[in-house]
Amino acid sequence: MFKVFIPTLALLFQEANTGRWAVIWQKAQHPDLSKFLIFGALLFIIGVAGVLTRRNIIVIFMSIELILNAANLNFIAMSRYLQDTGNVNAVAGQIFTVFVIVVAAAEAAIGLGIVIALYRNKETILIDEIDILKW
Amino acid sequence: MILSGWESVFFWIFSIAAIFAGLLTVMARNTIHSALFLISSLVSVAALFILLQAEFIAGVQILVYVGGVMVLFLFVIMLVNVGSEERGNEEIFNRPRQVTASVIFCGLLAAVLIGALNTGYAGLERRDEMKIRESAEGRRTRDQELATSATGASRLTNDTSRIGNSLYRFAALPFEIASVLLLVAIIGSVMLARTLKQEASVDDVDPEVLRTEAAHDPALAEVQTGPLA
Repeated sequence: MFKVFIPTLALLFQEANTGRWAVIWQKAQHPDLSKFLIFGALLFIIGVAGVLTRRNIIVIFMSIELILNAANLNFIAMSRYLQDTGNVNAVAGQIFTVFVIVVAAAEAAIGLGIVIALYRNKETILIDEIDILKW
Repeated sequence: MILSGWESVFFWIFSIAAIFAGLLTVMARNTIHSALFLISSLVSVAALFILLQAEFIAGVQILVYVGGVMVLFLFVIMLVNVGSEERGNEEIFNRPRQVTASVIFCGLLAAVLIGALNTGYAGLERRDEMKIRESAEGRRTRDQELATSATGASRLTNDTSRIGNSLYRFAALPFEIASVLLLVAIIGSVMLARTLKQEASVDDVDPEVLRTEAAHDPALAEVQTGPLA
């Protein structure tokens, strides 16, 4: 065991200053546009997974909010990137984000109104029991 | 755009917090917990907006999402009964096969998106490397020209005024359309959430339907139809 363990540790310590880990550590200390885009993508995918897997319609609505937020994060990161590559007044991404937030608020109001009407008639909010439009 | 120092520390803290809160939003059994995790995810994303120097959007995010939309969500969760799901005698996910299929799909989506981002960004970085370094200097000198705050410890951002200028100069029509959209949403949600009694009292129900419903609901039969009746 020591024959494997100690050389591995030694290699890791050696690599810590120069090797691939050092490059990763260096990159982690300076997050750039790609990090923001990757986190936006991860949030988006969590939202998609929520929409596809959950049965509760309210949680599905919340997952949609998560998806919209991931899109907002991308808009803002791109806007900052444009500002940093010369266009000092590039705020189009931020304006888009304002509109996304407005549409999300309207969507939440309408959607929750539908949920309340549905609950009054069907006594359920599980999507696999709401099938009056099916066939 | 390269963050450094404390900015990068806060970036990692808030982005990991946002991801974990998002995961817990999807996975929590109790819907109220789900909503609270979503609130913390939204607040973390707002903090990322501040790191990206979009302070106005961060404020709007907190005011509108956390203060408005999520409160609406919590009200609706408390109006509808989700007790059986919370007590654990109800499955919270779809059927296992559907869940497996969608998780595989999401994994593929993640792999493709992150791979594409990594390769695509390498080219973008090579193209814009000089510009980024130059404009980092430019930003530093521009930041020195901003007005200092009352305490003198920090500087006031002009982000809000820039957004306001651009919003009314280039996006005035979408802004008006958005106001009409919100009006439609208000009226629509009030229309959708009415009870049959409320609908009957403003004479909005088919008389045939009203007669059959009133047969087994005496309260409905006493409703005066029409505002003038």
